[in-house]
Amino acid sequence: MLESIFIEIADIIRYWFLDLGTPELLTEIILMLIKLSAILGFIIVNALWLVYMERKVAAYIQSRIGPIHTGPKGLLQTAADILKLMGKEIILPDGINRIIFILMPILIFVPPLMTWAVIPFGRDMTAVDIDMGVFYILAVGSLSTIIFWAAGWASNNKYSLIGGMRVVAQMVSYELPLVLGLLGVVMISGSLNLNQIVIAQDNVWFIFTQPIAFLIYLIAGISETNRAPFDLVEGESEIIAGPYTEYSGMGFALFFLAEYANMMVVSAVCTVMFLGGWLAPFGMDFIPSWVWFFLKMYFIIFLFMWIRWTYPRMRVDHLMAFGWKVLVPLSLANIFVTGACIYIFRGIGW
Amino acid sequence: MFGKGLVKGLKITWKRMLGKKQTVKYPFTKIEMFPRFHGRFVIDPDKCISCGLCVNACPNKVIQLEKQKVGTKQYLTKYTMKIEYCLFCGLCVEVCPKDAINFSEIIDMNQYRREWVTLKMVDRDAPVETIDDNALIDSSSSHKEG
Repeated sequence: MLESIFIEIADIIRYWFLDLGTPELLTEIILMLIKLSAILGFIIVNALWLVYMERKVAAYIQSRIGPIHTGPKGLLQTAADILKLMGKEIILPDGINRIIFILMPILIFVPPLMTWAVIPFGRDMTAVDIDMGVFYILAVGSLSTIIFWAAGWASNNKYSLIGGMRVVAQMVSYELPLVLGLLGVVMISGSLNLNQIVIAQDNVWFIFTQPIAFLIYLIAGISETNRAPFDLVEGESEIIAGPYTEYSGMGFALFFLAEYANMMVVSAVCTVMFLGGWLAPFGMDFIPSWVWFFLKMYFIIFLFMWIRWTYPRMRVDHLMAFGWKVLVPLSLANIFVTGACIYIFRGIGW
Repeated sequence: MFGKGLVKGLKITWKRMLGKKQTVKYPFTKIEMFPRFHGRFVIDPDKCISCGLCVNACPNKVIQLEKQKVGTKQYLTKYTMKIEYCLFCGLCVEVCPKDAINFSEIIDMNQYRREWVTLKMVDRDAPVETIDDNALIDSSSSHKEG
């Protein structure tokens, strides 16, 4: 029953509207709006939780205990932080491009939200099931580069501009190994549809058939979300806070939460592409598929946090060299080996 | 090479994550002080013989002592420490022949007003002499009997 609880809720709402005499098209539109606002709520609640989780993981790794006072076990710490930031004045410095400066923190949530629309949360639980899923995610996901860059440029501050330029350089160089890494999975599954990729992992997860692609995706994914050890974009000791330097109050909070929303997207895609998405391992079907998806996603997120609080920041030239001289050739080699293996196995008749 | 150091680093942070935490939830749980910690002074007025050695030993003239003669003994009536001038050297503790003044583990001596900082450790009246005389006679007589 738990397995299909969300689908049943959707059906109840659909029939309720149809009973009221709403036209079918309008019902579908209303249902889609409900689905998207549910996803928005999901993202915001998770982003709030992730800030708390990040602080706790960081504290535990550093032999501290983290927030404990606000709410039970410090759970309301992020909510309190956000409330404080909301109460603050949004400072508009002289010489900024006002429209872009104000617009960018609002737009920063658009790419993650758009990406989440196609990600399968569970069996038959995709808000918009399109055949170009992977392509769509990669296309929309790279839009956030422009937003970071525009925020940095509109701030009229040298640190913001350097940060914005670093975002472009870093994201463009790491987008390539990311895409090439995912290509191996797409070659094996023979589909760009995320649901079909999940179903193709019924026998064996792609992390076992494509381990190198998984590693490449993980490294490039950390870089795409601007997290340590690739957080050159907002390296405090070098450029204050990169593109966010001039932002205060809620503008800063939105950028801050968007970082976690982006991290969730990268982890969710990683789960779908390599860890079998909502498929239950070892035939443990009694736990609903959406719980499995959630657990796997949080495993990857924990991995990201663990890595963040272990390694120091890379140098800019090392970052570029690593991206172009190691990751790109490695991902190309991975594609070549995958293609050759597919050919050989097809010849054998597997 | 080949990420060996990276794995080692992850192992170390994993161990730290599961290991003992250093943070003490201070106002709720007490921090255990070392035995030689120099905290707030405590005086045992019953042990004190008002000899005034601590007053003389103090390099900053922190201690003010008032005494009154009761019978044959000195009786301590007032013991004030201007703790804002104290450098916690511990000479008064060292010099005390009866071990009456000591350091405690109390660390919070901060106050809202400067005049509240001064420690008024003993402030009492001397007992009336007649009663004390009787006690003295009693004790001396019992002493003789014993």
